[in-house]
Amino acid sequence: MVTLTIDGKQVQASKAATILDAAMGAGITIPVLCHAKKLLPYGACRVCLVEVEQMKGRLIPACTTPVTEGMVVTTMSPEIKKVRKTVLEFLLVNHVVDCPVCDKGGECDLQDLTYEYEVTTNRFKDAKFNLETDERNPFIERNMNRCVLCGKCVRVCDEIVSYGSYSFINRGFDTKVATAYDRGLDCEFCGQCVSMCPVGALLPRPFKFKARPWQLKEVDTVCGYCGNGCTVTLGVLDNKVETIRFNDKIGVNDGNLCVRGRFGYSYINAEERLKRPLVRKNGRLEPATWSEAMEAVAAGFEKARAEKGLGILSGGRLTNEEYFYLGHLADKVLKTPHLDHSGGECYKGLSQGLAETLGIKASTGTFPQVEGCDAILAIRSDFYETHPVFGMVVNQAVKRHDAKLAIISDKKGKFTKLPGAKTLLTKPGTEVAILNAMAQVLLTEGLAVTEGVTGVEGLRAALADYAPQAVAAKTGVPAEAIEAAARAFAKGKNKAILMAYGLPYSAQSRELGVAAANLAILAGVFDGEKGGLYLCGEKANSQGAIDQWILPRPNGMGAQAMLQAAAEGNLSALYVIGEDPLLSYPDRAKVAAALDKIPFLVVQDLFMTDTAREADVILPAVSFAEKNGTFTNAERRVQRLRPGVKSPGEARSDLSIFALLAARMKDPLVFTGPEAVFAEIAQTVPEYAGLSFNAIGPEGVVWGGEHLATKTRNLVAVKGGEPLAARFQMVTGSALFHSGTLSVRSKGPMSALPEPYAEFCLEDAAELGLAEAQTVCLKGNGEELRLKVKVGKRMPRGVIFVPYHFGSAGVNRVYRGETSVTVEVSK
Amino acid sequence: MFKEFAKGLSITFKHLLPGHSTTVQYPHVKLTPSDRFRGLHRLVPTQDREKCVACYLCPTVCPAKCITVESAENEKGEKYPRVYQIDLLRCIFCGYCVEACPVEAIEMTGEYELANYRRSDFDFTKQRLLR
Repeated sequence: MVTLTIDGKQVQASKAATILDAAMGAGITIPVLCHAKKLLPYGACRVCLVEVEQMKGRLIPACTTPVTEGMVVTTMSPEIKKVRKTVLEFLLVNHVVDCPVCDKGGECDLQDLTYEYEVTTNRFKDAKFNLETDERNPFIERNMNRCVLCGKCVRVCDEIVSYGSYSFINRGFDTKVATAYDRGLDCEFCGQCVSMCPVGALLPRPFKFKARPWQLKEVDTVCGYCGNGCTVTLGVLDNKVETIRFNDKIGVNDGNLCVRGRFGYSYINAEERLKRPLVRKNGRLEPATWSEAMEAVAAGFEKARAEKGLGILSGGRLTNEEYFYLGHLADKVLKTPHLDHSGGECYKGLSQGLAETLGIKASTGTFPQVEGCDAILAIRSDFYETHPVFGMVVNQAVKRHDAKLAIISDKKGKFTKLPGAKTLLTKPGTEVAILNAMAQVLLTEGLAVTEGVTGVEGLRAALADYAPQAVAAKTGVPAEAIEAAARAFAKGKNKAILMAYGLPYSAQSRELGVAAANLAILAGVFDGEKGGLYLCGEKANSQGAIDQWILPRPNGMGAQAMLQAAAEGNLSALYVIGEDPLLSYPDRAKVAAALDKIPFLVVQDLFMTDTAREADVILPAVSFAEKNGTFTNAERRVQRLRPGVKSPGEARSDLSIFALLAARMKDPLVFTGPEAVFAEIAQTVPEYAGLSFNAIGPEGVVWGGEHLATKTRNLVAVKGGEPLAARFQMVTGSALFHSGTLSVRSKGPMSALPEPYAEFCLEDAAELGLAEAQTVCLKGNGEELRLKVKVGKRMPRGVIFVPYHFGSAGVNRVYRGETSVTVEVSK
Repeated sequence: MFKEFAKGLSITFKHLLPGHSTTVQYPHVKLTPSDRFRGLHRLVPTQDREKCVACYLCPTVCPAKCITVESAENEKGEKYPRVYQIDLLRCIFCGYCVEACPVEAIEMTGEYELANYRRSDFDFTKQRLLR
């Protein structure tokens, strides 16, 4: 620690702090334009100039000068004020000052400073720029006439997002921020640059001219898309979510969001939202009152219970309170053991794999810890696509802390491009073999941590077939690469293993979870100060669904078994909540048969989905922006959701629908609201013991603490899949712009990626004579898909990637839950 | 005392004589208000559009909250007020809107005959204000 004096105040600061950090810590404000707390110091704007007694004669920029012992700093004096005013005059020489039509007006740093320093005239004159506005993408408007060259966009895109869209071009007065060859912005549109821009040079296009910042009501809640659990601040005007506000004050995401979180909000306001309950009468779905609908549901469920039983299938985006109530409904009111959620099949690594090996059912570390890790192993490169903001933490670990990143994946991705990243490009379905081989290397070379670990000898024997050479032959990854990766990973002090789960990744879910846990145990991942094993669910509250155990009860059927039973006529009713199995589940034919055969189907959703069209009763539910409750993200962080807008029409939250149903079924238990349910959760769910709804602060509460202690360290041998020998195979997965099937209802993600595609590598495309945007036919599993071609460098030879989000493509007609499908490609 | 009484009354009677009255026979006679009078608002037009750029400063400054603005983008990509409406029943004619306007798009005219029969007639839309 260093002691210095700022404005006559004794201030303590860490050795690495700058004057600005020290002042901020002491509550002294120094104006800044180019500084952001998540970026490295830069010193471009010179607005933060201060006087330092020891460096008399010139003013010192506070944001780049480190503190020294005994430093005496003055942050305001007539001279400093004069100089800052001059700096602002310089900035305003070229600035267009079109504040009346600039959407930044009201929250513009330059405007605020100009006002504060009373810059009413300018002694300097020069021509204003008249550069063309870049509106070539649907998300971000770039008006470089307003730019003050602070470089925040350039730096955030490089340091945090690691995309590198921008750079400075030209020199002197002509300097400007531009994209490659000044061709206009075409990137992943996460909007970090927009959130950083201190002026109106970068603005969100969907919000263009919609409102002034001071008119918006700001509501802090948690994003409803993926399991990252980013804090989003809704900008609400007239009961409509008009934008997502920049907020780096609270939450785990440090103000970072992805394209879905920042621009994918329009489905909340969509006209097509279901607004009234619908009941099928004489073969047609007719509007009904809630009491009519509940009557029909209760009658149908009671009948089903008397017959062959009732199955409940939930999505991954309900709140903890709703899940808990649903579990209560299933156990005590509807009395059915057949309960599952979308992750039931695909999160077996979490719900079964980790239970067998570690005795837990969640990730062991928190996201920010990964930034301090020095060895990271990512299983599947799609991690960046499913949990982009966590991906940004990995970027920072690699770029700022020189973490060694290894990726085991069947395709390349954003992680592959990070400096020093080693990609073990395997054949689809053989990731387990690589993990096993790495475990084998650790065991044979004596690098493994085996103290207090059970099952070592069993695993050693089982891994005899997984020598790197043997695995190399099977997977196509050189044995040396596997060995090097294993050694590098073992060498790290703080380690993290990352893997994302989701509906398109249900194959070998348990095996991958176990193999990852084995490797984590042997590499001593849990002994580090930071990091851990991260198995991250795809949806906003996937972890909550597992915590509240929305999984089959003893003798109950899981999702696939329920659908199978329904298709065979062995189930009498199905209650589908917030899920569109027809589009998102593997094997559409099987789901269709089940929905067709099921005598009574109740669907509770936001939209008229394909599944809802088959329903006997449709109950209109509400989005995350209208809910009160909690989500638990993939790092076990329990965070509050706050309602920002009113629900359209008669739509009700899932919690209130469950309460209606419980009341109709004469359940004696009545909850007054989410708070009461959460209190009950804290009483019954051991992990949530001691948590209180109102005590959940802006950073949330991580259940189990920063490091979740493993209960056991038991190695379990698992077998990997065999690679397909086919010339072409199709894999499915998540694309960055979408999340599940919900984002296709949003204008933002749809304008970036409006239709599905089949991604080929350059060599395959050349061999087949395929050009970008041409239609191609993929034949597999007796079905045919017609898709647009996308050509890139991401895929290895013979592997075709098709994202699973789009119902129109019918990917799940071909994809039936396997890791990859043999396909024939024709034009 | 009588003298003072007569003096006072003479002033009163003098004002009763023709030509000394300050009242006018409204509505037969109408006064022209001064240039600084704050009457009905007017949105200033330019060649092809209103001068207003929908910056939202007038509804923000308005103490009576009587101005409704909804901005939008026109074909040329410019910001313009798709809706600009003043609820005259709420307006207190303080003139802050004129003072706040950065582009001198709103001004106050001398028009003071604003009585009407229906409440809805007091909603002055953009069309009625653009004169």
